[in-house]
Amino acid sequence: MAITSPAAQSRRAASFVGFFGGIGVALGLSICPILIAEAGHASGGAIPRTSDGKPDLSGIWQTTSAADFDLEPHSGRKDAPPSVGVVEGGVIPYTPEALATKKRNFEARLVDDPRLKCWTLGTPRGIYYPEPFQIFQRPQDVTVFFEFGHSVRTIHTDGTLHPLDTDQEFWLGDSRGHWEGDTLVVDVRDFNDQTWLSRAGDFHDEALHVVERWTLIDANTIDYKATLEDPKIFSKPWNIEVFLYRHREPHFELIENYCYTLDYDQYYPVPKQ
Amino acid sequence: MKRIMECLSVALISACTTSPVPVADHAAPAPVAPTGGIHFELNPPPVASGPWKGKRLPDGQPDIAGDWSNTAGNHNNFTDPQGGIPDDPLDRGKPVKPRSARAPSRVSDPPDGELPYLPWARAKQQEFQHGFFNNTKPEYVEPLARCAPAGIPKSLYWHGYEIRQYPGTVVFLFNSGSRIIHLDNQVHLPENISLWQGDSRGHWEGNTLVVDVSNLNSKARLGRTGDFTTEHVHIVERYIFDPGNQRYDYVAVFTDPTAFSRPFTVTIPARRWTVANKPNGWHYEVPLANNPGKAPIGDHLERICVENNAGFGRVAVQSKK
Repeated sequence: MAITSPAAQSRRAASFVGFFGGIGVALGLSICPILIAEAGHASGGAIPRTSDGKPDLSGIWQTTSAADFDLEPHSGRKDAPPSVGVVEGGVIPYTPEALATKKRNFEARLVDDPRLKCWTLGTPRGIYYPEPFQIFQRPQDVTVFFEFGHSVRTIHTDGTLHPLDTDQEFWLGDSRGHWEGDTLVVDVRDFNDQTWLSRAGDFHDEALHVVERWTLIDANTIDYKATLEDPKIFSKPWNIEVFLYRHREPHFELIENYCYTLDYDQYYPVPKQ
Repeated sequence: MKRIMECLSVALISACTTSPVPVADHAAPAPVAPTGGIHFELNPPPVASGPWKGKRLPDGQPDIAGDWSNTAGNHNNFTDPQGGIPDDPLDRGKPVKPRSARAPSRVSDPPDGELPYLPWARAKQQEFQHGFFNNTKPEYVEPLARCAPAGIPKSLYWHGYEIRQYPGTVVFLFNSGSRIIHLDNQVHLPENISLWQGDSRGHWEGNTLVVDVSNLNSKARLGRTGDFTTEHVHIVERYIFDPGNQRYDYVAVFTDPTAFSRPFTVTIPARRWTVANKPNGWHYEVPLANNPGKAPIGDHLERICVENNAGFGRVAVQSKK
């Protein structure tokens, strides 16, 4: 699903607002009632299940939200479509010191965002980044395969615990999941401090702890919720919620995107006679 | 950041342990050694194509998921896997055994084990090989040293790797990069889409996973010997699994008339690793999961390499945090 234009982005942002009760005043409000109606019948739809009866998250997914541009409510900018944001309560509860860092990050966002180096996006940013990812599911694990960077995250659902070594500093965190009814609940810990949470400079340090809740609300929509805590950066835990939509275009597939290689691609011409 | 360091340390290990490590007695036709070293098998018996009588997945695929690696050697030397790195000024890779006592070339056809380069391409390979220890051009720095995917076939002799299977799909997770093989009988992606790991369309024939590969960007080298293919290469791979599900042979025909006078066949034997094996820093890097009081499970942790911008040949330099 190509992101076509800021206007298209705005419409998607607006439709996202629609799902959450239409509190926004974003562009394209007129399409909200249709989407609300869809959401209304969606909750009753049958969801795919694996042979062991768990919800089957397999498929290629992508958000239509503007979360990656800025998690908080914001007006339109040249580098971001407007959005009411995806943070419960609107604002990320930074500590005063961390807020100053976030503001510096924001000012430098067009240079310093690790995304621009194509570094692995981290968790949860990889999930709401506007590029598809594919889920492969087995009883013992859920594999999240990102198109961006072709990086792979394994959510272990085999009952194992986080490693005893808690200082491995993973890009995507160490993910241990279990099912609570039809919701996959994932505890994610042991991050490095190299990733941002959005293009707006939202950040964290190594102590980030994320708890995700993945719920299929119909065959083609995942309600993705995450709680983030990081005691030196945030004054209290905070929540986000985005919807993820299944790619249903015929023959749609992930295409390898090792974009961090593009900067040196020019130095590797294929040999010619 | 620790991941980066680990990646760098791997680079150092691979650069520094390429001496002919006598971890197994190559002279004896011993069974697979349990651990140790990058290269410890000489020439395991070939695996024959045939029917599959072992366990199957619900979609009918032979169940071959798990951890695998080649055991003859790493990417130091494509046609002489236990022959060290040519031109190494530090003499780390100088072989101590005669050629006949080392693993055979990965090129199983032509019979002489040499890649059938056209003259211009042979000259280029030689240039790359000499440039590996004399990086006077950026292209002499192996892309893998910059965390690029290892490509095909090098991914299969660069550390151990995991295979996961799903309905209609086989996924390879390598130390550097990954690969999705579609069992969908679809045509390849449009020609102008160029990929480090190529576009892979496969199907099963008995015990053999047959994969047709195109759309390779051919920027990954085949080894530190500077061997390469061009973007016109077409590969038909056969992964032939033994009845006991403990080994497989990779037998792939490469056709690339731009650089080679004839098609050639690459053969890479591989073996399975399980939690019964100890992690050994190369072939099997799967620690035991934290699973107290329960059966041992291998823990497949993230493998991500970023900004490892230093050539192996020059010995990687660790960045400051």
